[in-house]
Amino acid sequence: MRGRLAIGSVGLLIGLYGAYLLLSRQDHDQLVSAAIWLASGVVLHDVVLAPVVLVVVAVGARVVPPGFRAAAVAGLVVLGSATIFAIPVLGAFGERPDNPSLLNRHYWVGWLVLSALVVAAVVVAGVRARARSRRSAV
Amino acid sequence: MKVAMKVAEKMAEKVAGKAPSDASFPSRLRSPAVTARVGLLLGICFGICFVTGLISHYAQNVDQPIPFPTRPSWGYRVTQGLHVITGTASVPLLLVKLWSVYPKLFQRPPKGTRKLVVEGLERASIGVLVAASIFQLASGLANVTAWYPWNFSFRPTHYALAWIAIGSLVVHIAVKLPIIRGALTSDVEDTTYDRPTATRPGVLSRRGLLRTTWVASGVAVLAVAGNTVPLLRKVSIFAPHSGAGPQDLPVTKSAAAAGVQATATSAAYQLEVVHGDKSVTMSREQLLAMEQQTEELPIACVEGWSATGVWTGVRLRALLDLVDAPSGTDVFVTSLQERGAFRRSTLQGNFVDDDRTTLALALNGEPLALDHGYPARIIAPDRPGVLQTKWVTRLEVLA
Repeated sequence: MRGRLAIGSVGLLIGLYGAYLLLSRQDHDQLVSAAIWLASGVVLHDVVLAPVVLVVVAVGARVVPPGFRAAAVAGLVVLGSATIFAIPVLGAFGERPDNPSLLNRHYWVGWLVLSALVVAAVVVAGVRARARSRRSAV
Repeated sequence: MKVAMKVAEKMAEKVAGKAPSDASFPSRLRSPAVTARVGLLLGICFGICFVTGLISHYAQNVDQPIPFPTRPSWGYRVTQGLHVITGTASVPLLLVKLWSVYPKLFQRPPKGTRKLVVEGLERASIGVLVAASIFQLASGLANVTAWYPWNFSFRPTHYALAWIAIGSLVVHIAVKLPIIRGALTSDVEDTTYDRPTATRPGVLSRRGLLRTTWVASGVAVLAVAGNTVPLLRKVSIFAPHSGAGPQDLPVTKSAAAAGVQATATSAAYQLEVVHGDKSVTMSREQLLAMEQQTEELPIACVEGWSATGVWTGVRLRALLDLVDAPSGTDVFVTSLQERGAFRRSTLQGNFVDDDRTTLALALNGEPLALDHGYPARIIAPDRPGVLQTKWVTRLEVLA
C-alpha cells in the first residue's frame, strides 16, 4: 500500500507539472481551444464512437452468418482502427499546393486495398471455420 | 438498413425502460484480463512516446546545459521516427482498451461519503488520462500531416499534455496495481477479476481478441513506418510523405510558403558571417570557390519523416575561421524567411565544431533546390529538421 501511495504521489506531481506547463505558456484563447479539443476527444469516443460500435456489432450479430462472426469482429478491429488513424491523410486536410512532397500518396487507393485484404481474410477465415464446424458435426 | 433501425429501436427501448448499467454489457471479453494485457503494451508505447518526445523537445531547446550529442548522426532520426510510429500503433491499443472498460462508465456510484469521494477522485484521474491520451494521439496524427485545426500552439500543448498523460497514467497504475498484477500473472481466461455480470462468451476468445489487437497495431506500424524506414516506403499506405520530392527528398516548408522565392534567387544574395566587429560577406559563387566537402547526413523532421541526403558545401568551421571565431561558441543562424518561428536557429557549439556540419550548396549532386534552401542551408548531424535552417543569409558568432 505504501509503495502504491508513493507511485501515485509521483504520478500526481508529474501531472501537476504538466498542468503548470499547460496553463503558464499560452494565452486565454489558446487554452480555450486546447480545452475544447480535450473535451471533444472524450465526447467523440464515449458518446459517438462507442455507441456506433455497439450498434455495428448488434447489427452484425443478426446479419453475419455465425461461422463468419469471429473473423468479422477481428476485421472490424483492424480496419476500423486503421480508418480512424488514417483520417488526417484520407482527408488530406494539410495539403498545400506549394508542397507536392506532402500527402503525396493515393491514400484512398491504399485504404481500398487494405479493406479488400481484410474482407478477403474474413471470408477465407469464415469459410474455413464453417468447414471445420461441419466436419466436427459429422 | 431495416435491421439497423430495429436494433436502434430496441436499444432506445432499453434505455427508456432502464438506464444502462454495467450489467448491460455481459460480454466476458470486457475483462481486466484483456484490459491489463492491452494496457501493458499501450503503457510501453506511451513510455516510448514520452521519452522520445522529451528528447525531441530538448533537442529544440536553445539552452542545452548538457550538449545534445552530434553522434550518431541518425540518432534523432530513430527517436523521432519511433515517436510517430509508436504513437500511431497506440491508436488500436487505446481503442480496444477503452472498449474493454466501457461498462465502467455506467457503474452506479457507491454508497457512503468516503467511498464516493475516493471513487470520484479515481474517476477524475481516469477522465484526465483518457482526455489527455486521445488528445495526444489526435493532435499528433494531425500535426504529422501539417493539419492544424486548432488555435493552440502545438509544441507547448503537446509537451504539457504529455506530462499530464504520463502523470495520470502513473496514478492509474498505482490505483490498479493489484488487479494489473493479478490479471497479468494468471491465465487470460481466468475470471477472478471479472465483473460478476460479464459472463456471456464473445464471438472471439480473449486470446483471439488480443491477437487481433496486436495485428491491428502491427498494421498501424506498417502503414506509417515508411515515412522514415526506406524499405517500407512501398508498404506504408498512410505515410504522409512517400519519400518523393525535389532531389529525392521530401519538403516540410516550401520556398513559396516561406516567402523567399524572390530573395533566394536574387543576384544580390549574400551570406554575412559576423563575429563582434569582424565580418565577411560572400556571394554564392565565392562560397562555391571555397574548399567543398561532401557529407551523407539524414534530415529528420519533427513531423516524423526522415531521409538521407548527400550534401556538398563549405564546412561551417571553415567559414567561422574567416572571422576568427573561437571554438565552442554558439552560432546564431538567420534565414531569408521573414516570418515564422524557424527563420532563426541557434547552432550550439558542439554542432558548430563538428566537422560534418556543413553550409550545404548542393544536394545529391545537384545545386540545392529552392525548396531545400537554395542558395545555402545548414545541415548538421543528429538535429531536428526544423533547426536545419534553409535560405541562410547570416551567421553570427555569439560571444
